[in-house]
Amino acid sequence: MNNRRSELRRTLTGVGFLLPNILGFLAFTLVPLAMSFFIAFTDWDILRHNIFRRESLSFVGFENFTWLFTHPEFWHYMGNTFFLMLGLPFAIAGSLGAALLLTRVSRHPAALRGALVLATLVLIASGLVLLAGGMAEMGVWFIFGLLAAGMLVGGVLTGGTIYRTLFYLPHFTAGVATFVLWKKLYNPQTGPINFALTPVLEQFAAAVQVAAPVFAVGVPLTAGVLALLLAGWQVRRLVRQWDDAAAGSVAVALGAALLALPAGFLLHWLGMARPLATAGVIVVATALTIFIVRRPRPWGPVCARDAGVSAEIAIGLGLVPLLLLLAAGVALGAGLPAAAAGGIQPPNWLGDYAWAKPAIMIMALWAAIGSNNMILYLAGLSNIPPELYEAADMDGASSMQRFWHITWPQLAPVTFFIFVMGVIYGLQGGFEMARIMTLGGPAGSTTTLSYFIYIEGFETGRLGYASAAAWVLFALVFILSLLNFRFGNRNAND
Amino acid sequence: MKLFFVACILALSLGSAFLHLTLPGKQSELPVMWWITADDHYKQEIVTVFREWLRDEGLPDVDLRIDNSNQDATKKLVQGVSGVGADLMDLYNFQQDLFPATGMLLDVTEEGKRLGFSPDDTYPALRDDITQNGRQYSFPRNTGSALYWVNVGTFRRLGLTPPPFRWNPDEFEALGKQFVAAANPPGTRQRAYFVNVVSLDVMRRGLGLANFNETGTTCTLDDPRNAAVMERVRKWTVEDRLLPTREQDAAMAADISGSGSTFSHFDSGRFGLIYTGHWAFIMLRPRGTFELAAAEGPQDGFPNTEMGGGSVGVYAGTKYREHAVRFLQFLGSGHFNRLIVRQADSLAPVPRYAQTDEFLRPVGRENEWPVHQAFGRATAETGITVSKSPFVLQSVVYRLEMEIYESLLAGRLTPAEAARQMGERINAEIQQAVRRDPGLRALYEERVVRQSHIEAKRAAGERVPAAWVTDAFHRTYYRVQGWLEPEAQP
Repeated sequence: MNNRRSELRRTLTGVGFLLPNILGFLAFTLVPLAMSFFIAFTDWDILRHNIFRRESLSFVGFENFTWLFTHPEFWHYMGNTFFLMLGLPFAIAGSLGAALLLTRVSRHPAALRGALVLATLVLIASGLVLLAGGMAEMGVWFIFGLLAAGMLVGGVLTGGTIYRTLFYLPHFTAGVATFVLWKKLYNPQTGPINFALTPVLEQFAAAVQVAAPVFAVGVPLTAGVLALLLAGWQVRRLVRQWDDAAAGSVAVALGAALLALPAGFLLHWLGMARPLATAGVIVVATALTIFIVRRPRPWGPVCARDAGVSAEIAIGLGLVPLLLLLAAGVALGAGLPAAAAGGIQPPNWLGDYAWAKPAIMIMALWAAIGSNNMILYLAGLSNIPPELYEAADMDGASSMQRFWHITWPQLAPVTFFIFVMGVIYGLQGGFEMARIMTLGGPAGSTTTLSYFIYIEGFETGRLGYASAAAWVLFALVFILSLLNFRFGNRNAND
Repeated sequence: MKLFFVACILALSLGSAFLHLTLPGKQSELPVMWWITADDHYKQEIVTVFREWLRDEGLPDVDLRIDNSNQDATKKLVQGVSGVGADLMDLYNFQQDLFPATGMLLDVTEEGKRLGFSPDDTYPALRDDITQNGRQYSFPRNTGSALYWVNVGTFRRLGLTPPPFRWNPDEFEALGKQFVAAANPPGTRQRAYFVNVVSLDVMRRGLGLANFNETGTTCTLDDPRNAAVMERVRKWTVEDRLLPTREQDAAMAADISGSGSTFSHFDSGRFGLIYTGHWAFIMLRPRGTFELAAAEGPQDGFPNTEMGGGSVGVYAGTKYREHAVRFLQFLGSGHFNRLIVRQADSLAPVPRYAQTDEFLRPVGRENEWPVHQAFGRATAETGITVSKSPFVLQSVVYRLEMEIYESLLAGRLTPAEAARQMGERINAEIQQAVRRDPGLRALYEERVVRQSHIEAKRAAGERVPAAWVTDAFHRTYYRVQGWLEPEAQP
């Protein structure tokens, strides 16, 4: 009896401790979540359904979703959201790079000390030159110079600890403050970015004018050759993956489609109508897939059809942007001398429809490099067994081979986690940036789904519609997370 | 651990109790009312004069406090519909149709008539801003048309003649090009613009086109006149660079610390003209004495100016209804109107105060006289408030219009496509709202029938009863064109 009473008391005590959190979870998470699901199927509008106007709610079935899917602006904003997520692979690479650098600094401080001192002196001297040159109004330059110098000096003196802290700075700096700062940096007239770009672009424009034929022919030619080399490498890789049974037919089709995609953009940029260019992409991708999957495998079919999909997605995320850049070089290179004739102006970063999204991606990249991802990679790097590296050293492996065959595979679980979280945050993100930096403009180019939900819910008052959009966003997150878990490589030994 | 847990709960409970006891309402012996507005010395002076007025009128005193932190429109809306709105709130632009539609503002129609702050006590053009479906929900605090302010000194320095009061787009363009060429030395990056903004509405209205038809049932922006106006302003922005884009303007604002960057650029000559209301005096006076003039927005044909301003509404959930309504009464009083005239924070809500010497010719401020007179004249003669439809929120209209217009600026749409999209998307919003709201549907159907009658009468060359035309622009336009039936005299 005593035991039971004591157990009950202990349970009640435990529940008592948990109660504040449980109540908070119920009040601020679970109940609103359930309510938003309910609201998504009603015509709840703040105008008509509030404590002053108590009109009855109507159940509208899937009408909110139908209205959403038939609205061009919804697709536009979804496209924006996905476009901004193209920066994710670069963000992952950046945070891994930062983690590798920091690990290296902390392991070999003495070797780097001389270089750091020299770099510090150069930075300080640059700041002084700017000041002496009458650039006092460019205080941001000076601040950044001093900050960089401080980081370097600190790095020399503390052997990397201060680096880790400072690299983490973007994460614990208030978002609003960093967005305002970046807005200043992007100022087309007085921002330091354009201040630095202007003389470079002027020199470049002068060079283009002097050697116009070289640029007019050379740029598209070089870009074309590089694109062909890259495409050839990918085709060869796909063939090998197929032959080695490391890639199934689905992976090959995906790899081929991702390879053909930039070609479609190139055709469109060169003047081909969009349906024709799309048809071209489909034909090329299909032909390539058939060509590869009809090859007999030397060792027979020993892999699943969807084997290797994750590898193709990962490679595609890096390959497609590179090929798109090269395709842009092919399409626009010939017109470079004409464009440079009147001088090349630096971009109006946040004010130009074409530049606003890349500008936000660059800022997001900066924030992502010094984020939790970097900390996770640092932890992952410290967990790699040193004997693997020792064995590699004994085998005479180069630094690159050590990275590709030990570091990268051993970090697979961390990369998988970062990628999954990156996709989730990427889909949900963009609200603060849009609200503070661009108000979703110009022409809706930086309006993401989350900002759209906010506008519909709290500026227009259509809660039913906004909830439907929120649940569509949830479905997207859910599906992409499922795909990540299905095809993602999360084991170090895979 | 248990003790620690209990101690935490006790500390939090004590803290909450302390906070509750130190709330302003608990400290003051008077009823504490909150007014959402900017916390500056102009508003503080209004609060002081309000309490003096209460004393002079023999009315009970209140402790009116300014809530500066909830000025954001979304905050006001969400707090209001959740039952925790401030007693009094400033209303601007689209808030004037959004907030009454939610029911969160008190219907003050009867009090307005009884206490002297009805729509008849202010400018007739403001009726649409302070009423909805014939009921009054607010009273203007400051008002007036928007005009271009001309820094005559800048023009003189550049060897140019300042613009006339009334001008057409060709004259605007010609002078603008001269200004930009003179104000930006050759070979340098453009830093100075002719104007900060051009009103598309004024130009459209100059051609006889409004955002909506006579009854607000259809958006009429899918019209060649709208396409022509947008194309012209696009050319001024992108090719002639007479004005900055919204983002360039924001970038210019970032060049200056603190608020009022537009006025700094006006002062320094980076803007030749700035388009804003009479309230700009409160920003310009501290900057010194300018030689000033004013000009209307460029327009062909029908002279018009954009009229608007701020009004104050009473929260329907206020605990101090009577005191709050007294504040609206105060806005119609001589105490308040003379104060506004002295502060030069727009035109006073009661029209006769804009005809006084104190307003038109303030002593010691001779440089301001042409501007006071221009604003007084524009507000009384050509001021028209924004065209609204009861079937779509102004905030939605504004967002769609801006997004599509920026697509035009970005070269993604032709002027004709932009005009078509504006019409289509705004009309789709109207249809969606009408389909969802039975009350609105009944009104819509009634107005559609009325619209067809108006069109039939116009086609037959007949006059139309004034009460049929609900759109602010069309009402004025019809009256000036002589298309309205003479109103029956009581």
